[in-house]
Amino acid sequence: MMKRILIIDDEDDIREATQVCLEVTGEWEVMTASSGNEGLMKAAIERPDAILLDVMMPGMDGITTFQELQTNPATQHIPVILLTAKAQTAEQRELTQLNVVAVITKPYDPFSLSAQLNQAIA
Amino acid sequence: MNNHGSTDLGANATDPVDSLEMLLHRMINRIRHSLELSEILTGTVAEVRSFLGTDRVKVYRFHPDGSGEVVAESIHQRRLPSLIGQRFPAEDIPPQARELFLRARQRSIVDVANQQIGLSPLDCPDTGNPLAAEDIRFRPVDPCHVDYLTAMGVRSSVVVPILHQNERQRDQLWGLLVSHHATPRHITAQELQVVQLVADQVSIAIAQSTLLDQTRRRAEQEATINRVSWLLHSMTETQLPQALGLTVNALKGSGGRLYIAAGGNGQPEQLFTVGEQPGDRLTHDSTIQIGDSTLKVETHPQWQSWLDTQVAVTEVEHVWAIADVATSGVSPELAISFQTAKICSLLVVSLQYRQQRLGYLSVFRPAIDIETLWARRVDRDDPRQLRPRQSFAAWLEVKPAQSQEWAFADLELAQALGRHFGMAIHQSRLYQQVYALNADLEQDIQERKQAEIKISALNAELEQRVLERTAELQRINTELLHEISERERALQERQQVRDSLDRLSRQNELILNSAGEGIYGLNLQGETTFVNPAAARLLGREVEELIAQWMHPLLNHSKPDGTPYQWTETPIYATLTTGVVQHVTEDLFWRQDGTSFPVEYVSTPIQAQGTIMGAVVVFKDVTERQLMERMKDEFVSVVSHELRTPLTSIRTALGMLTQGHLDTQPEKRQRMVEIAFSNTNRLVRLINDILDLERIKFGKTVMQKRSCTVADLIQQSVDAMRAMAEKAEITLTVNAIAAQVWVDPDRIIQTLTNLLSNAIKFSPQGSTVAVIAEVAPPSAQPPTEHEPEMIRIAVQDQGKGIPVDKLEAIFERFEQLDASNAGHQGGTGLGLTICRSIVQQNGGHIWAESTVGEGSTFYVTLPLSQIGSSP
Repeated sequence: MMKRILIIDDEDDIREATQVCLEVTGEWEVMTASSGNEGLMKAAIERPDAILLDVMMPGMDGITTFQELQTNPATQHIPVILLTAKAQTAEQRELTQLNVVAVITKPYDPFSLSAQLNQAIA
Repeated sequence: MNNHGSTDLGANATDPVDSLEMLLHRMINRIRHSLELSEILTGTVAEVRSFLGTDRVKVYRFHPDGSGEVVAESIHQRRLPSLIGQRFPAEDIPPQARELFLRARQRSIVDVANQQIGLSPLDCPDTGNPLAAEDIRFRPVDPCHVDYLTAMGVRSSVVVPILHQNERQRDQLWGLLVSHHATPRHITAQELQVVQLVADQVSIAIAQSTLLDQTRRRAEQEATINRVSWLLHSMTETQLPQALGLTVNALKGSGGRLYIAAGGNGQPEQLFTVGEQPGDRLTHDSTIQIGDSTLKVETHPQWQSWLDTQVAVTEVEHVWAIADVATSGVSPELAISFQTAKICSLLVVSLQYRQQRLGYLSVFRPAIDIETLWARRVDRDDPRQLRPRQSFAAWLEVKPAQSQEWAFADLELAQALGRHFGMAIHQSRLYQQVYALNADLEQDIQERKQAEIKISALNAELEQRVLERTAELQRINTELLHEISERERALQERQQVRDSLDRLSRQNELILNSAGEGIYGLNLQGETTFVNPAAARLLGREVEELIAQWMHPLLNHSKPDGTPYQWTETPIYATLTTGVVQHVTEDLFWRQDGTSFPVEYVSTPIQAQGTIMGAVVVFKDVTERQLMERMKDEFVSVVSHELRTPLTSIRTALGMLTQGHLDTQPEKRQRMVEIAFSNTNRLVRLINDILDLERIKFGKTVMQKRSCTVADLIQQSVDAMRAMAEKAEITLTVNAIAAQVWVDPDRIIQTLTNLLSNAIKFSPQGSTVAVIAEVAPPSAQPPTEHEPEMIRIAVQDQGKGIPVDKLEAIFERFEQLDASNAGHQGGTGLGLTICRSIVQQNGGHIWAESTVGEGSTFYVTLPLSQIGSSP
């Protein structure tokens, strides 16, 4: 059975390419949101099995979005995987301290992304 | 003969003149040829009696007590008894009679038969002046006088006074020349005159004799003095008793003594005696010894005080003449001692030399019995005494134990001798002293000779020792010289070291003072030993208030999170206790004003020979650095994000393409290719912008400035952006004044193009973007001093505007108004940052003004080089 995943990222090209990257595996049904607000709304409605959340976004950033997801009983159970372009150790440490199931650094490996997500939500 | 008349002496001269002349001639010859008075007097009475032819002629001499003595007489055929040697009491010749004998030189002639007396004064009894004429006045004789003469068997008498001038040139009644006749005898005036002449001659003889006596006595005294003096000055003590004996003899003493008191220079007291001595008895009589010392009269406590009570002999000082010791008021002890020695009279001379009393010279005389042959017995207790003399039976009176008076000549002699004794004793003492001194001197010389011998020996020994010591000293001196040169060398080295130290110290001070880091030294207690100006400045204090202070509380040294350290927790304390260098990067120090700042410091121990003496702390304020680091981190983070974002798209898209999953989906496949390509372009722009910004910012890109026409610059920019504007359906308008600016034209065109690009991007379709160039109004420029005249270029759009809080932020790196659109707009987020760098490098400013909903205007000012278009 295909798992449903919500990709929240402000970068159109990344959303599109990532969606293609997951869909071609045949394991994922992909939904996308281009901002934190949109992502909160879709998550609450669609109740995906996982959320792939970009950290640096204009307006509501990924951290705030995650915290909002956690406060909503409808979404708080959904595992969230953070996707970040921040590669510095301190930044990584800060993110792993959040109650997320995994942190994946951009540019991720397109051939193993699916496996990483599966492992994260397993 | 008229009893009461006067008789002219010259008229009654009946005797042959030659007899008178012969008499006078013989008298004068006798006086001239004889110096002995008794002989003259004996001749005189014989001649007078022969001349007068009377029975007895005598010379009656007065004694000082008024009595008289017959000293010469001539008796004719024993017709009257001899009276020679007999004394007559003073009462026999009343004082008034004697007065007339003296004052008036009154002669008297008594005729017992006729009971008449003839008186013939030569001088006036009242005035004493010689009378003009001699006469004899007769008057009845006093019955007593008649009775007296009658009792003596005399019927006729002639009395002529014999006067004599004493030493004081005063007349005194020496005696009487008396003629007695047993039968009545008339005496003529001429006879009286002759007798008077004889009496005058006798007076002359007496004067001569007295003078002779005095001369003889003086010669004797001088002889005595000479002998005594010779003895005394022979300077031998054995002569003293002889001199004393001579003295006693000369003074007719029965004994005498010479007492010499003890001398001041150790001479003992001495006593020399001649004859009977009071002292002899005194020393042997135990009852008059005082203590153990033998009592001498001269040392008797009352001796001198007794002498002082005696009547001073006024002319002769220091000579006491005591006629009768018994009645002199002497103390009983002394009186007994004199009495036992039968000493009655005493002559004492104080022997002196100048004011010094040397002793006493004493001469004694015993009491003697005095025999007087009186012409008659005198009983003064018998009332009949006053009656006329009835009997002239001779009577020998004996007075026992009579004192012998001291004569004036005795006193003179005694004084003269005493003076010689005094001088002799003094000289003797001087001699003794000199002798003693000589003896001492000789002794001294002997001792000195002995001492010299000893000194010579000592000198020889000393010289030997000096030689030894000299050799030793020379050796020591050589060693010392060597040591001194060593020390000097050491001193020089030390001085060089000190100079180096001083130089180093100055260098250190210079370094400390010029260092930008705060530097302070601590002792083991954590108190400052030095503080450099930078440390004080960083801590907001003065150097002086930090010296010798416990630094820890002043710094309020805290951990990076603001928690204050305990002193023992601090890394600086660790350095002081362990000697380990501590390098700390993020602690906090506090300023005096209560603000803190992050510090990086190194605490290094100061060690001397392995012992920690303190520490040096070097610190700096790292506020700026932390800020820079934070900014750098953020920049790196943003750059990383900006680079990774397109890379993510590229990698994923290319990954999809390489796997061939999309071969059956050509649209998706094409889409992946486009995504890969556009993100690759984005990546290239980004890299170019980053590199461009860094080059401009760090001056690696040199502005190629030259004078440019503003309008040309604007036009080239507008031309470059025209296609984009047209595509976006935006109208571009230009309004530029003619002016020249001094800029790099390519970079200014790059800037204007960027601004136009942004304006076009954010302008709604159909709107206008205007470019206006004008001289910058002063008020329109930011408040910058010394701004040259500028031209201002405005790029004005009609977009949605920029919030006021973003107007400045948009010039920061990667600050975009809408990041989500960045990709769409093709911006890198570095454009405005690059623009600001370029404008600043060309001496201008860039800023934005905006009203949200109406549009934004970006202003660029550039330095104006010339107004007006260039040819």
